[in-house]
Amino acid sequence: MAGLVTGDSIVNPDAKLTGAGVITLIDRVTKVDPKGKKVLLSGGKELAYDKLVLGMGSSPVLPPIPGNDLDGIFVLRSLRHAEAMRQFLSIKKPKRLVFIGAGFVSLELAVLLKQADPDYEITVIECLGYPLPTMLDAELGGRVGKFLEEKGIELRMNSRTIDILGKSGAVSGVKLDSGEVINCEMLFMNVGARPNLDIAIDAGLVMGQYGIEVNQFLETSNSDIMAAGDCANCFHFVTGRPNPGALRGPAVIMGRLVAKRLAGYEIPFPGILNASACSLIDLNIAATGLSEQQAKDEGFEPLSATVDSRSKHGMIPDMKPWTLKLVFDKNSKKLIGGQILSADISPVKEIDAISALILGGKTIEDLTVFMTAGNPDCSPEPSMEPIAIAGEQALQKLRN
Amino acid sequence: MKKGEKLVIIGCGGVGGPASILSKRLMPEVEVTNIREEKRFIVR
Repeated sequence: MAGLVTGDSIVNPDAKLTGAGVITLIDRVTKVDPKGKKVLLSGGKELAYDKLVLGMGSSPVLPPIPGNDLDGIFVLRSLRHAEAMRQFLSIKKPKRLVFIGAGFVSLELAVLLKQADPDYEITVIECLGYPLPTMLDAELGGRVGKFLEEKGIELRMNSRTIDILGKSGAVSGVKLDSGEVINCEMLFMNVGARPNLDIAIDAGLVMGQYGIEVNQFLETSNSDIMAAGDCANCFHFVTGRPNPGALRGPAVIMGRLVAKRLAGYEIPFPGILNASACSLIDLNIAATGLSEQQAKDEGFEPLSATVDSRSKHGMIPDMKPWTLKLVFDKNSKKLIGGQILSADISPVKEIDAISALILGGKTIEDLTVFMTAGNPDCSPEPSMEPIAIAGEQALQKLRN
Repeated sequence: MKKGEKLVIIGCGGVGGPASILSKRLMPEVEVTNIREEKRFIVR
């Protein structure tokens, strides 16, 4: 989307699969026949299987708002979507862009386009109260909002789009539930994804709340069929309950797990944490596990600790600030979530340490003795290492 | 899976690519077929 590379230059070549000995077919599967143990392709071909893996993924949700089929409306899920948008931007030269949904795809795109052309008038609309509401709590989300406004991006939080307006078959604006009309020549939608389930439902597989029901080894209700990724009913590591995972990271891990299961390994899938990161050029965000609000919604009694830290020792040039928020379950004292906001990009990957600590079932006390590698150019001074300090803060809150 | 058996994997995004490649590596005598709808394989 930044126009730095062509689409074809960044795709994996098919040789990556064929070179590994995988037969590659480019076709659409129209039906799975579990009794006959075969799949039917759109070209008429039938392919027999002994074992079948379903990884159909998901598709972007186009909310059922009147006018959602007008020209100039885009989603972003694959390379062809990006290419279509780039072509529209270069040919139609829209000036006013509206983004529905303040998730990380919307925000990265909005910031990128605003930086590419400061003359773009960009508005982001979100039905919840602040940007990145599924990643962050209100106080950090509010800081993201302030950052976006400083970049010249208009926000309409706590707002729903009730109508998409058009002129001559193309989008011309949106109407909000407040009555406000925002004119635009391009509309981008980022409000979630829906699992692709048609062939699985038709095959009679048992469905869960968010996709194909699978056990901890990603096996479906049919002993010869496995499912993984966005089309499977994932569960959350912290809550143990179904969760609509739609991120590439867990999908890759699940893909490898499926292969290992078929080869005879017995490694269960631990559940997702929805660890994700977002880069808005001067502001970088990451989150994992449950936010404090999500923890409350799930019935936990959360306890949180927020620490301001630094990307380097204070004496090193270009030191930048970052903030860490950790969420604990007061009853078990276990770490259940984390959020990072950072001016520099490097601290953002500390979220992986948080994920590891959550998966390891680490508690408040464990975090107070968490020791990290340090170097003045890539970490704060050891006495200011934020994970341990957050543990100390939480420990004092427990005592009080 | 056993020698000569057929594994079919539908999709080549997050799950399908890694599942296909690792399956073939772990079970070289299993026939692994990946079917995808998109003309181009996912970006690097």
